[in-house]
Formats: sequence, C-alpha cells, structure tokens
Amino acid sequence: MRWFWLVVVSVSLFFSAASWAERKGWQAFEHSQQAVQNKNFDVSYVVFKGDQVTSFRWLHGLTDTQQLEQLIPLDADGVDILRQDNIVYYFTPDKPALVTLSPFIKELPALFYKSIDDLSQLYDPVSGSVSQVGGRSAQLLRLTAFHPGRLNYWLWLDVETGFPIRIDTVSENQQVLERWQVTHFLLTSTLPEPLQGVLDMKLPVPDMRRLQRPDNPELVSDYQLAWLPSGFRKVDDPYFIPRLGSPLLNYWLLTDGLHQVSVFVQRSNQVPAQAYRDGATTIYVQSNEQIDITVIGPVTLDIAQQIADAVRYD
Amino acid sequence: MPSKKQDWLSAAIDEQGLSNEHLDALLQDQDLQHRFERYHMIGSAIRQELPKQLHTDFAEQFAAKLAQEPIHQLQSSHTFMQRIKLGAQRAANSDWFKPSAQTAIAAGVALMAVVGVQHYQQPGAQDLMSPLPVLQTRPVAGFASPVSLSQTSVDSRFEQQAQQAMLEQQTRLQELLNAHHQQVRVLDQAQIMSEQRPETRDDQEPDGQL
Repeated sequence: MRWFWLVVVSVSLFFSAASWAERKGWQAFEHSQQAVQNKNFDVSYVVFKGDQVTSFRWLHGLTDTQQLEQLIPLDADGVDILRQDNIVYYFTPDKPALVTLSPFIKELPALFYKSIDDLSQLYDPVSGSVSQVGGRSAQLLRLTAFHPGRLNYWLWLDVETGFPIRIDTVSENQQVLERWQVTHFLLTSTLPEPLQGVLDMKLPVPDMRRLQRPDNPELVSDYQLAWLPSGFRKVDDPYFIPRLGSPLLNYWLLTDGLHQVSVFVQRSNQVPAQAYRDGATTIYVQSNEQIDITVIGPVTLDIAQQIADAVRYD
Repeated sequence: MPSKKQDWLSAAIDEQGLSNEHLDALLQDQDLQHRFERYHMIGSAIRQELPKQLHTDFAEQFAAKLAQEPIHQLQSSHTFMQRIKLGAQRAANSDWFKPSAQTAIAAGVALMAVVGVQHYQQPGAQDLMSPLPVLQTRPVAGFASPVSLSQTSVDSRFEQQAQQAMLEQQTRLQELLNAHHQQVRVLDQAQIMSEQRPETRDDQEPDGQL
C-alpha cells in the first residue's frame, strides 16, 4: 500500500511539474509577443535560407490613435511594406502599390501574432538555458510540434525585454532550415523617428468595393483532396484563386492556424517528381499522365508527398 | 587724407618701419587693410610672383561651391517617404488579381525569398530533407559550357533541351510560389472585412484612391 501511494505522489508531482514548465514557457513567449506588439522599436534583422542571406529593417510604433509598422528590405529590389492598424501596403519601385487587410505583416514571423490558446494546440514549449546572443543574455525556448511532420521553432528571447533575438526553424531531425537573427535593436519611448513622417502622410484609403472577392476562375470540381495532415483544415472558400500561366484545374488552401499549405492541380507537363526548399518552405511537384500536383508550404517532404498522393479524380 | 595714408602705408610695405599708431590704425581700418593687400599684390605682380590663376576670394568661392553641393545621406527616410507617396498615388488594387499584375508584384517580393531554394532529384531517397542543390531561379548565361565542334554531339543537344525544360519548370514553380505567398497575404482579408470596416477618413476620397 505504501508503494501505491508513493507511485501516486510521484506521478502527480511529475505531471504538475510538466504543467508548471509548460505554463512558464508560454508565459515567457507571451512576454515576447507583448514586446513585439506593444513596444516602440527600430530593429534590423537578417534571414538565412541555405547560403542566401537577406536583411531587413523593422520599425514599429504606437500612437494614441494608431499602430504603425514598417518592414524595409535592405536589398535594392525588395518591397517596402507598411502597416497602419490592419491595412497593409506593399510598395514596389515601379509598380502600383498593393493594399491588403491583415492584422500583421505576413512577412514577419507569424508566431508572434497568434494566440497562446491556438499555439498550445500545436506546440509544447520547453525552456532551455540562458546564453549570450549578440552580446545580450537570451533565454532559449524550444517550441516542439505535437503533430508529426511539422517544423519546430527554437527561439532566443532577450532576458531583459523579452524581445526575440533569434529564431531557428528546425526540421524533425534537428536540421536548421531557416534562421531569423536580429542584428541590432533599439527600443524607444515614442514612435521611432522614421515613422513620424508616415503620420503626416495621406495613405490611400481602401475602397471596400475593390477589396471584395475578385472574379475567380472556375475550377474542376471532380478533383478531391482525400487526406489532410493532422491539425490542418481546408480553407473553405479561399479569397482568390490564383490565375496562372498554366490554368488551375483545382486549388486547395490548407491551414493549421499558423502555417498555410497550397495545393495546385494543373494539366500535366509530365515532369519527374521534384522537391525544392525555400528555407522552411517545401515545394513538391508530382506528375502523372493527366495532372501536375504542386504542394507548397512549411511541412516536411514526407507530408507534402502524402498530400499530393491524396489528390483523387472522381 | 588718402595721400598721407598712402605714404606711411607704402613706406611700411617697403619695410621702412611702422609706428604703433599706424599699426593700430591698420588693424582697425578695413579700407587700409584692403589697400595694404592691394599694394602687396602690385609688388608681387611686378616681381612676377603671382600664381597663373589668381583667386583673391578663394575662401568665399569655396564656401559658395560647398553650399551648392548636394547633401548625400544613406537610406534617406525622405526619399522613402517620396517613394511611398508615389506608390500610394498609383495604388491599383483592382489590377492585382489579374495574372500580369499579380505576377509582377509577387515576383518582386518573392525574389528575396526564392533564391535559396534547394533541389533534389531522388524522390525515392530516404534523406529527403538533407541539403540539396540550389534551384536556378533565373536563366543563367553560363549554364551550358562553351561548345566546340567536337562536342556538338547528340548528347549535348539533349542536354540543352533538358536544361531548357528545367528552366521552364523553375519559372512555373516560381509563379506557384508567388501565388502561395500572395494567398497567405490575403488570408485574413475576408474575415477582417466581415468583422469591421476600416475607418474612412473624412479628408480623403475613398473612391478612386486604390
């Protein structure tokens, strides 16, 4: 009997410790989210994808009436992105500006803009050691995926401010696929100076009629997607169906609340199966005599293959 | 008396001495100082000591030229503001779902993301996530090696065709990747539109701006 109680106490201690660790992990992450969403800052960061490196300047500020955020690529050919509350503008040197509605800039790490409730359905947070990153003390937080075939995130969060300093997107076998690294950050008490100029600017007001769903091309409904990776669901009615050089026979957009996967079905070019990777994004093409299936998204190649295999013609 | 002034000044320039009162007068009187300068210049001209190009007001000219120089500033926020203004004036959302506009805009964005794409050619291999050859996202001039007469074989012609097919395939994948990024950008649009209409500012005309 004594043994029984000992086991009961040990098991309950183990689970309460695990639960406490998880709570502490999400608390640290929430602190980081607050820093990204509510502080005024002027940050520079780089993104490593394979041997390709791109650099950005990221400005964020709050006034009494609005929230402003700007992402400036330091490459000459990049696109300047500006967010005013939930209106996002894409500015290119020679093209008309693009205006969309979004609560955050999609080119930034989406992790920082999703609710802890949603994230806790997908990831288990495990705190690691404190180390020096870029001359600052940083707490390592590992977000380990519950579902198989998902990418994991390792985050280094500034101990003092909670601000993210480095994010590694890591494959199932612990290979770093993409690295996001802050190279300079400056927290300011007020709106960063470059954003002051935006305040005085008359930005175009989105015309709701023109933001309505565009005329989408007809799809061939005979194609079905018979399987979804665990945790993913189909977006019932994607906002628009891409118009491509080789017309789409069907298209599905999948999401788990944090990541998105696109599945394109086109007429066959009869190419051998191919896979590519753009940082953490897998691009997989599978072809048969009738159709090409292309799966694009931040999933493992194994999952991308299973999605492609699940396209059926009824 | 100009003549008197000239006398002692001329004598001073000829190194015949200068009294304290005259020195004080010279230091205080600008007219005398100009005269002093001019006499020295005449003396230099007679002795042929002047440079070929004479700039008596070099300092003023330099200051004026400096003032005319453009101010160079790296990553000027002013320039960026102009760029935003220009882009905002030409905002054309109605066009960006059309294939050409969509591809053009997306290509600019995707360019910063796509170059690091990696490639593998073994669909049956187990280690599919291992580092892979880099995808060429643009036609590469030096892709095919220089071909001499002896090398123009059936094999090399097939090779060229295969490379051409590969480039076409990469262009197609680039287009799909752009479409995927575009889809992610507008994912929340319908929901936001149904939840809340963005505030329309009174000082602007909503119609025709986008």
